[in-house]
Amino acid sequence: MKKQIYLDYNATVPLLKEVKKSLIDCMDVGPLNASSIHYYGRKGKDIIDIARTNISELINTNKNNIIFTSSATEAINLLFSNFDTIVVSSVEHFAVLSSSKSDHIIPVNQHGVVDLNFLETYLKKLVKKNKKILVSVMWVNNETGIIQPIEDVVEIAKKLGCLVHCDAAQALGKIKINLEEIELDFLTLSGHKIGAPTGIGALIYNDKIDLMPQILGGGQEKGMRAGTENILGIRGFGEAAKFFVNATENNCSKVKSLRDYFQEKVKTLSPKTIFFGEKGNRVANTTLMALPEIPGDLALMKLDLESFSVSSGSACSSGKVSKSHVVSAMGYDNLASNSVRFSFPPNDSILKLENLITRKELDRLAQCWSNL
Amino acid sequence: MININKIIKEMDLEGDPSNHRVVVAMSGGVDSSVTAALLVEAGYDVVGLTMQLYNYGKALQKKGACCAGSDINDARVVSSKLSIPHYVLNYESIFQDQVINDFADSYLRGETPIPCVKCNQTVKFTDMLDRAKNLGASVMATGHYIRRKKKLGSPSLHTGIDSSKDQSYFLFATTKNQLEFVRFPLGSLTKDETRSVAKRYGLSVANKPDSQDICFVPEGKYTEVVRKLRPGSIEVGNIIDVNGNVLGKHNGIIDFTIGQRKGIGVGGRKGVDDKNSILYVISLDTEQNNVIVGPREFLSCNKIKISNCNWLIDIVNQTKFRVLVKLRNSSKPVVGTIKVDFDNNLAYLKFDKPQFGVSIGQAAVFYNIEESSHILGGGWITEAPNKSADIKFYNA
Repeated sequence: MKKQIYLDYNATVPLLKEVKKSLIDCMDVGPLNASSIHYYGRKGKDIIDIARTNISELINTNKNNIIFTSSATEAINLLFSNFDTIVVSSVEHFAVLSSSKSDHIIPVNQHGVVDLNFLETYLKKLVKKNKKILVSVMWVNNETGIIQPIEDVVEIAKKLGCLVHCDAAQALGKIKINLEEIELDFLTLSGHKIGAPTGIGALIYNDKIDLMPQILGGGQEKGMRAGTENILGIRGFGEAAKFFVNATENNCSKVKSLRDYFQEKVKTLSPKTIFFGEKGNRVANTTLMALPEIPGDLALMKLDLESFSVSSGSACSSGKVSKSHVVSAMGYDNLASNSVRFSFPPNDSILKLENLITRKELDRLAQCWSNL
Repeated sequence: MININKIIKEMDLEGDPSNHRVVVAMSGGVDSSVTAALLVEAGYDVVGLTMQLYNYGKALQKKGACCAGSDINDARVVSSKLSIPHYVLNYESIFQDQVINDFADSYLRGETPIPCVKCNQTVKFTDMLDRAKNLGASVMATGHYIRRKKKLGSPSLHTGIDSSKDQSYFLFATTKNQLEFVRFPLGSLTKDETRSVAKRYGLSVANKPDSQDICFVPEGKYTEVVRKLRPGSIEVGNIIDVNGNVLGKHNGIIDFTIGQRKGIGVGGRKGVDDKNSILYVISLDTEQNNVIVGPREFLSCNKIKISNCNWLIDIVNQTKFRVLVKLRNSSKPVVGTIKVDFDNNLAYLKFDKPQFGVSIGQAAVFYNIEESSHILGGGWITEAPNKSADIKFYNA
């Protein structure tokens, strides 16, 4: 079998070695139900507490304001179940778009950046009729890698008395998140986007705002999320966070140079390629592109058969590929079925663990792209 | 025991199998799964493709159900077992446009459509076939029980060895061009052999029952589907007899098909002799919204007009000849004389003996009268006058 070249880090980051080791250690501790009051229960509580500390250090927040959930999606659903009026951007992940059931959609410009003037005007009207409004804008877009002007969103929303949630699933590990410096009320995170196992997410919340839980039961997570704690997931999330806190190469210059090298190769070999959000403020690891004549799913299949793992549009659990609502929202509806995403490791430290993403392979990939 | 070398020979591809990529259209059923398994064993570079044709959750009216049915998952599990790549093609909108809408409109016209042929004709052998070519495949294989043979350099189509499973009726519309590119490795197998191969490979679908219904029609209730698709266009009307007497009411002509005997909803007729007491649907009058019923003799049909014909043979020198013709998948072929109008893709067929219950919208598939396994072509029945055409309803 040919070596698989993985360029789908925005979908998930491989389990980190340190995380894997921590999980095995954790399994060897014994029977861990953190709600038990005996020895093993205390051990379980300790593990959760360490994870909370690690995660709070990574995003600079109070560790007591973290609720562990099964995923960022669940965290978002939990939060949104507390609000009737939610204003979202048109390029949000389906975890936000579907669970908000919102008709209050803020458009983006052709670079995929949320329209702040529209947001302000819209909120001014909306606050006259609604008391409790939640504004939800993602930090980094999963398809384009565009970084949203989240500070400006917060400023506008706060000025008008709205609360703000930020889906930071794609931002974590790629850009610095410092909750002391930004007045967000809620932030949601996903563990597996930074090398933890899947099945663990978190809601970071402002404890001055009362929230009601969605899942009721034994009162775990301060009554906000019942169900025996996912010790392994939480431990893994904590270890992954620690890796990023301690990483010596938290910048992304090497990732960026590889991504840019690949883009330039593609431009040379297939000049018809259209890049989305290239002119906007983007994270270093992501590039989204399309060829006008080639459906995205065909590109994905052909690249897969050449052993490149990349991603296209948004795939349902069945594996069928649908149109990209993000590309449509940016005004390229005619290309919404054609976009293909290449996402490199989130930062240089993760890239260092990887020895298959070489310039030689990227040359081959660009060649395959031009042959589509 | 299956002879792999025979399968390789019938694949009609030059050189070593490993030099050929073969796309297998995998439905998730046992037939296409075994097709893939045999081709893997034969050494081909096999890629599985499965079509997502409609939103299963919506079709089954289940809230929150995933868009994928279990069939797609079965195809994936089999592909994984065989260690081949497998992809899902999203053909929901094409299938809606070209198959489901046509199906509903056809019923509203009083016809009896065959969506499976439309699907083979459009989505499967057009879009999926193109995708197979784009993926660099030498050929696309399906799990149909039908044989492709080479005669004098050009391929011809023949019924499957297992006559109880023969699918030639559904594949008459395969064009000569398509036939160059498609392969049917199961054509020489019986269904029992297929199942035993599935067991030998340990495929999870080995005992999966054969599909019976139209895939997007839950539990065979096709009229419910049409009612959902075309609300408001189905009206209550009269059931009348050949003399114009109103015998009862119906809830929409889509509930009826020509030749139907059961479930018409009008009771037996007292004082009528036994032979004529049983009533059949003999005509559907869409203009007046009437269902016309009568004794069997009124169904008698001597000739039909066939449109949009597809020919798998060269018959330029011959425009009138004797053929075997199948008017329904389940019925035996009957003998007739065909007159072909090539310029307009039409054909006129006169039966040797009158036929009963011929429906517009069904296919007429022609077989060689000297070699009944050889499929000559076929088309869609667009006119099938029976004795009801002679009736004049002054009061209707």
